[in-house]
Amino acid sequence: MKIIKQITDFFFSLSTTLWLLGLLLLLLFAGAFIMPGTQEFQEIHSIPLFDWLQTEPLKITWWLWGLTGILAILALNTIFCSIESIVRKRKVTQWLLLISPQIIHIGFLFMIFAHLLSAIGASQELAVVREGSLVKISANTLLKIEDININIDYYGYITGWAISVEYLSDGKTFKKDIIKPNNPSVHMGFNINVKDLRAYPVEAVLLQINKEPGALWALIGGVLFMAGIVTLIILKIKVER
Amino acid sequence: MLILTFSFACYLFAIRKRPLLYVGLVLQIAYMISRAAELGRLPLVGPHDTLVFLTASIAAFAIPFGFALKDRNRFFNVVAILASVFTAFAMITRQHNSPLPPVLKTFWFECHVVLAFMSYALFGIAAILGGLYLKDQQNSIEGLEYRAVLVGYCLFTLSMIFGGIWAYLAWGTYWVWTPKELWTSILWAFYTFYVHVRLRQWWMGKPAAILGIAGFGVVMFTYLGVSLLMKSSHGF
Repeated sequence: MKIIKQITDFFFSLSTTLWLLGLLLLLLFAGAFIMPGTQEFQEIHSIPLFDWLQTEPLKITWWLWGLTGILAILALNTIFCSIESIVRKRKVTQWLLLISPQIIHIGFLFMIFAHLLSAIGASQELAVVREGSLVKISANTLLKIEDININIDYYGYITGWAISVEYLSDGKTFKKDIIKPNNPSVHMGFNINVKDLRAYPVEAVLLQINKEPGALWALIGGVLFMAGIVTLIILKIKVER
Repeated sequence: MLILTFSFACYLFAIRKRPLLYVGLVLQIAYMISRAAELGRLPLVGPHDTLVFLTASIAAFAIPFGFALKDRNRFFNVVAILASVFTAFAMITRQHNSPLPPVLKTFWFECHVVLAFMSYALFGIAAILGGLYLKDQQNSIEGLEYRAVLVGYCLFTLSMIFGGIWAYLAWGTYWVWTPKELWTSILWAFYTFYVHVRLRQWWMGKPAAILGIAGFGVVMFTYLGVSLLMKSSHGF
């Protein structure tokens, strides 16, 4: 019983939050110095983060393992503290002031969840393509490059592009799309965009095919976080006035 | 460049005559407008333009914070020194005049950069207020520092969200493991630590003031240090 109480006290405590945030900062600092000088990090996006972590030596990944652990405990601590705060302050008249920090916390949890999903399932592949090239997207889906249109200004700078693509299944086209700057082609969780291109001697494009399962959750988390923090600031200003 | 030189002089002499701070700000805004007209886009790429924008943001945010202080002279003096130092750096850095790559021509990028530098400016204001608190020990100053950090934290978070949306649209992922992103996370975690730590009575006052000052050190390294010393997806 005593151990259970100690565990719950640990998770309900703001001190735990502060210690965890302090440790998180230390690990991020360590990573900021390890990462730039380590060649292995060039491959970090090619496979899901958790798969990558298992293939690389611990001497360069220990801080990422540490971050994962700290974020997991921090997520639990956030949930416990939010519940405790709502229960303790439930009789306050300004419920928005009570609820807005919790909305920020929910937004944070969504972001953590997004990163978790991406760490499990995100991937990135590159393909050099020309007009007529076929790229395998999934077991029964092919991407065909129909047309490459690169706009170049008088001085030789690339000002834009439009890559017409078709999705094929069993040899039949079922979807057409155009990839432009900041306008990727999105299909079945894959995000296909242009990483680089060249106009001469033959028009060629370096396509980037990303799978980012956490993107939508990160967006939802971001919106909730902002909604909470803006409400909190407005309410604090009102209360002070 | 002449306008920028005049704004530098105004900031420098604003230590003696405070209205020159406002003149310096107006001149800097005029300079940014002239650059925007010349380039046909928002001048927000490269150290030159971002330093000018950061300086103007510091000077602009200093006005409401300064008028909330009883003894505002010292605050405005430090702001004037900081603004003149940043403007001097802007003057010696190269202008980025070439056309933007197509992926940078988007609302998300513009908002991402504008909000990031506005938040940096607020963190700078917070650091100045933190320094003044350490000298005067007035609780109202430390309260103002907290407000500057809170609004800066809000803008910085929004900047990160916009950056994530833009990165997803441009490169298919909202998160890239580069030193700039990592330092941005350090900065965000640092100010998350600050806003939580200040909920504790013990941390109010001197410790919070020191954290606010240290935070601006992290801001400066994230902004200039990473871009100058490490390879990253961000030019600046």
